[in-house]
Amino acid sequence: MLNYGFMQNALFVSLCISILCPCIGIFLVLRRHSMIGDTLAHASLAGVTIGLACNVNPVLGAFVFTSASGALIEFLRNSFKKYADLILTIVLSLSVGVAITIISAGKLGANADSFLFGSILTVTKFDMLLILGLSILSVLTLIFLYNQLIFITYDEDTAKVAHVKVKLINYVFSILVASAISASIRIVGVLVLSSMIALPVATALQLEKGFKATLLYSVLFSVTDIMLGLFLSYYLDVAPGGFTALVSVFVLVLVLVGKKLVSLCSARKKLPA
Amino acid sequence: MIQAQKLYFSYTGLSPYVLENLDMHIKNGEYVSVVGDNGSGKSTLIRLALKFLKPTSGEIVCHANRVGYVPQKKDAIAAGFPITVQEMLVSYGRLLKIKDKRVAMESLAQVGMESFSSSLVGNLSGGQYQKVIIARALMGEPDLLILDEPSSGVDVESQREIYTFLKRLNATHGITVVSVEHNLDAAVKNSTSIYHISGGRGHFCSPERYAKEYLQT
Repeated sequence: MLNYGFMQNALFVSLCISILCPCIGIFLVLRRHSMIGDTLAHASLAGVTIGLACNVNPVLGAFVFTSASGALIEFLRNSFKKYADLILTIVLSLSVGVAITIISAGKLGANADSFLFGSILTVTKFDMLLILGLSILSVLTLIFLYNQLIFITYDEDTAKVAHVKVKLINYVFSILVASAISASIRIVGVLVLSSMIALPVATALQLEKGFKATLLYSVLFSVTDIMLGLFLSYYLDVAPGGFTALVSVFVLVLVLVGKKLVSLCSARKKLPA
Repeated sequence: MIQAQKLYFSYTGLSPYVLENLDMHIKNGEYVSVVGDNGSGKSTLIRLALKFLKPTSGEIVCHANRVGYVPQKKDAIAAGFPITVQEMLVSYGRLLKIKDKRVAMESLAQVGMESFSSSLVGNLSGGQYQKVIIARALMGEPDLLILDEPSSGVDVESQREIYTFLKRLNATHGITVVSVEHNLDAAVKNSTSIYHISGGRGHFCSPERYAKEYLQT
């Protein structure tokens, strides 16, 4: 299987996104913003269609449009403080509206379907370089802003007292989310992309560890989910994105059951004989 | 340390104002409890002092070199956040450019919480949590400590420990303490001065006078 060039490309991209997505996802989930991932995934579809219509690399198109949408969410947050979910509906409407209008106008030079469901056949060398670049840049930025992001997520006011530039970092973070999403759509597809961002983190949270450990476990679960999803989808001849989402849910359920069993066993041990 | 002049504030920018023509001067080394009814603007006042909010008109200036802040307890966020006590303090220290991890442990030791360093913040009791947040606020040697209802959700014994500690910090280290209080007994027992907000305006009075005028009615 790994003798095929397309499979090597897919494996490389999968590895990149399996590290990148949970690193971004942990902050989104802890901010209770995991649905932003879904909204921006739809924004990336609009970016893909714009890219295809303008003969620009669709991943690049997705990155630019998703970044702009992320910045728009951040901007609208001030206007809709009490209706945060409404912001997502606005951006979702804009993105899906753009995507459907361009697709239905028949102006695309290629098929956008592969971006909806994800495909391992369509990853090009340029995509690989772009995704590698985005991933390295994003991970380095995350390392640099690690403590600031923790505090903005945990307690924005305390971050402000410590002179953290909260607004600026929130904008930078929205670009990081955009880069994770645009790196992932080739393989995973728009429809299940948010599962790559949220589910490994949801699984790691069940282990009730500290922040660093939760982040590392999130990456571990993410690599497991995506690699299993990629290899099994190849043998089952199904779309990798959908199957990876199923694997992620399965791993989460497995951890939940395991956790329950451990707590039952320890409760039984504590019972007097 | 904190000075407000002709301060007006409303969330809409229009009348009616939460704070109206408010003048206030908190001097260095004081322990001031800010009291008043719910919605009187106590927390708004300290949020203005911390520059989280902008005055509608007038000004409020804080002259502290470094501020330690103890926010209102937010149970939902703390409970679901996977972070250990040590991780939180070390991470906060990094924001203050403190690279030595021992500073975090020393700060924890000040409030007697060093044995909880590897506990998850979400697993702490109300009192333990508040002590950890005070330890965090003390990192970087602040000259002003601002607390927003430090005793809410805290058991009586921990409340006593927290107020004794705050009083000692103020008396022996000279740290100015400004505390928004709904615990009026603690305000009277521990403060050097009380700032009472009512109808958008405030006035200072001594704890003794406050106890006489407000608590006995």
